[in-house]
Amino acid sequence: MKKINLYYFFFFFFFPTAILSQVKSNLWYDGNARVNYNRDALEGVLKEKDTISSRSNGGGFTILDLGLHFTPVDDIEISSEIRLQNDFGGMWGNKSVVELRSLSAKGIINNKIAFSVGDIYLKQTKYTLYNYDQELSEFEPSIFEFYRDFVNYENYYKSNYWRLHGVQTNFSYNMYNYIKQLDFDGFATRIRGQEWMGKPELLMIGGSAVIKSINNLNLGTHYVNTFEVLSSSNGDVFYYNPVLNTQLSYTGKLRNIPYKFLLEGGFSTRGWGGDSLAPQVKGNFTEATFSSKTNKGKIKIGFRYVDTDFRSVGSQTRRVNYNTTTTSYPYYSNNYTQRKASLIDIISDPKIYNQNLSTSLMNYNPMYSSTEPYGNATPNRVGFTAGIDNFKLTDYISAKFQTQYFSEVIGQGTTNKRLFSKSSLHSLVSLDKLLSLKNSFDIEGGVNFESVQRNGDDYEKVDLKTILCSGSISYEILKNLKVIAGVKMFLAEGNEFIAERDMYDQINGFESTRYNSEETILIAGLQHYFTDNIYFTMQYNKFNVLDKTKVYDEFSIGRIIFMFNMNL
Amino acid sequence: MKKLKFLLFVLTIFFISCEKDKFEGPMLDNPNLEFAILEPLDILGSTDFSNNQNTYFKTSFSKQVDWKIKIKGLNSGSVKNISGKSDFIDQSNSLWDGSSTKIPFFIGEEDCLVELSFEIYDTIIETVINIQSPKLYDGANTILITDFENGFNPNFTGFFQAGCTKALSIGGGAGQGVNFLQQFGTCDWDWLIGYVDYYSTYWWNQDDLVNDPAEVYFNIMINGDSTISQTSNVPNSLFKLEFYEDENGDGYYDANTEDRYDYEFDVDWNGWKMMSICYNDVDKLVLATNGGDGVRNPSKISNVRTLLLANPDSGPAKADVDFLIWSIGSPILN
Repeated sequence: MKKINLYYFFFFFFFPTAILSQVKSNLWYDGNARVNYNRDALEGVLKEKDTISSRSNGGGFTILDLGLHFTPVDDIEISSEIRLQNDFGGMWGNKSVVELRSLSAKGIINNKIAFSVGDIYLKQTKYTLYNYDQELSEFEPSIFEFYRDFVNYENYYKSNYWRLHGVQTNFSYNMYNYIKQLDFDGFATRIRGQEWMGKPELLMIGGSAVIKSINNLNLGTHYVNTFEVLSSSNGDVFYYNPVLNTQLSYTGKLRNIPYKFLLEGGFSTRGWGGDSLAPQVKGNFTEATFSSKTNKGKIKIGFRYVDTDFRSVGSQTRRVNYNTTTTSYPYYSNNYTQRKASLIDIISDPKIYNQNLSTSLMNYNPMYSSTEPYGNATPNRVGFTAGIDNFKLTDYISAKFQTQYFSEVIGQGTTNKRLFSKSSLHSLVSLDKLLSLKNSFDIEGGVNFESVQRNGDDYEKVDLKTILCSGSISYEILKNLKVIAGVKMFLAEGNEFIAERDMYDQINGFESTRYNSEETILIAGLQHYFTDNIYFTMQYNKFNVLDKTKVYDEFSIGRIIFMFNMNL
Repeated sequence: MKKLKFLLFVLTIFFISCEKDKFEGPMLDNPNLEFAILEPLDILGSTDFSNNQNTYFKTSFSKQVDWKIKIKGLNSGSVKNISGKSDFIDQSNSLWDGSSTKIPFFIGEEDCLVELSFEIYDTIIETVINIQSPKLYDGANTILITDFENGFNPNFTGFFQAGCTKALSIGGGAGQGVNFLQQFGTCDWDWLIGYVDYYSTYWWNQDDLVNDPAEVYFNIMINGDSTISQTSNVPNSLFKLEFYEDENGDGYYDANTEDRYDYEFDVDWNGWKMMSICYNDVDKLVLATNGGDGVRNPSKISNVRTLLLANPDSGPAKADVDFLIWSIGSPILN
């Protein structure tokens, strides 16, 4: 009943406002609508062997995220996003939810200083504040993008920004000397609120100053400090983690080809004040990249060094949280085994993702990401990267390629160091251009290969190899209606030592783990685009996870999924 | 371009010079390496636990091992276990604040036997430590109901069946301190042996409980004899806790309009054991009441009733109690 009342409230509250908006044009709308229904069913051997789990389960929802933007004066905009959600299976308001998804205000003071308060999206540099993409999401065929869009949207991932709560301001000065422009940016956010008898409030403050000179040389300094406010709790221990990053970039032309050279470096400190047992660690990093853009594509090569003790809350927090329970069949088999998050969950389950910054290094699964589990800010790495993006071989074949070679700066548990290599390739073949077809006809393929090796005596050797092959085909049978099919096949074999860390992030042990896994994802269905931003897809998916070490039972499900997506 | 080349050259030289020979974390377990104790076991710090002091152990090994330190009170019989996996023992992994893993608690001026053992090696190192003063549990984050050290408060009323015993024991053998409440008997016509009402008005500490049920723990020491029922082949003694909430604050509990939450368990052990129950885990029994708001409000608890029960067909039951205390944030022995 309360929820029905809420509907009435919103109707009567916004209806007059909407009429008023037509007069003064100071209220406008945007948002997103999504309808999703999926049914998962056990398949394969599991269907016969598992007599405990339900044969199938399904669910769905309709979501309307209504964005309201109100501009009381020209320089102020107040934005809110209200979610109206109705889970399938409810009637008369049952299983219906109305909730505030975001609320913020932004404006400009005297046409000079911009500010935002409330829910704000922040990104700085890759070492201070940056929300890295989830593992194995790059270089994947575009037919899997609808899952990724869904996951990212539900977790407020916009590009590589973190969604935080606080205040942010920025302003610029244009000058007419050697310095062309000065940009300043500052923010203060609250990451964790007050907890009764718990930890103190966790705040993050930061700022940037960038000097742009007339001779294409830019110098930027970026600073972020994450710290606990001791006075907000009755304890006597507080956390702190300041990070400083300085960037020097130069853009120029060499034989009429534009290039950019970026040199950056910085350092961090992390510790706990008031705790005599807590170590204070200091780490630094340096990265140099050279990038150039030709008419064939973009080339980028780089060198990176990140110290073992480099710690940065803003850039080392991971998206995937492997400690959470999966949505689809969290427990399976007659042993009622808890299912570990696997590739199918990384691709499709928004619930295993994390929205909060973490003060300690989050767990990762070496099978899916070893070389850069924390992105560029992964500690204890030194090595080279190279890549070609948007490389056009012909009019109908484009490709992108990336390769990385890293070593540990110091070993873990031994003086021998791990060597990491990772190579990824993605290619798109536009058959409609090749065959001069009227309708769109694309074939995509991608390969991710990663290996970790450590030499030495038998007890310390590491040899883990993983490969993800993916491919897709999409053919437009009617205008804007495509038949799609895709596959992802993931193989992992070898061994690794997973570091166990204490409450201060210090390694206090290693768990020797053996991998021999095979995961398959098959997708087939239809996809119809009304516009670029409005589409529906109807598919059958098949997921299979086979652990050849026989620690876990084979997991196999089929999924029928319907998703309608609309960006207003 | 020359400057660029120079810069890359300098960078390469700089990072080659960054080579380090040490390693992160403990040394990997090398099966070929022989286990040895590199430095003798040392005990550092203070055992004046009642003044919030603590002590720790220090030693190191040639390789990473699973180790365990067992501290046993030679008078109290209390036990504290500390364990870990590392190639060293120091303040970071062996800090001891005088708490117990197995009750009764340690007592003052008590010698304790310290035993360091290893999971896969037979080596055992023994030494003795003396406790200057015992840890005090009724601190800032606790509310003591009673520890019977000042006798049995007659305002804690109750009922025991004819022939069943509820008596204060002052002759030692307590879970904490010297005194405890004996409860035992046989009743062949009813499940109830007896119960005691601990009204909040008469709790030793009169501070208010916080109202977050997830943060509030009820702790009670129970001394069982693990008697097994002859008829049902289950432990004979049943223990039940009833928490009465005075939701309207009128000074008494009304079953029609106010909540009661219960918790029941078998007393299937021999000797003293600390039972700690989070108030979030207590149940609202179907038959208890049809009133109340159904919300656990620890701050409104007006009475804690402890009941000793037994199958009337199965003979004697026993569950002595001691040290009834609320703790905030974690169980008392955490």
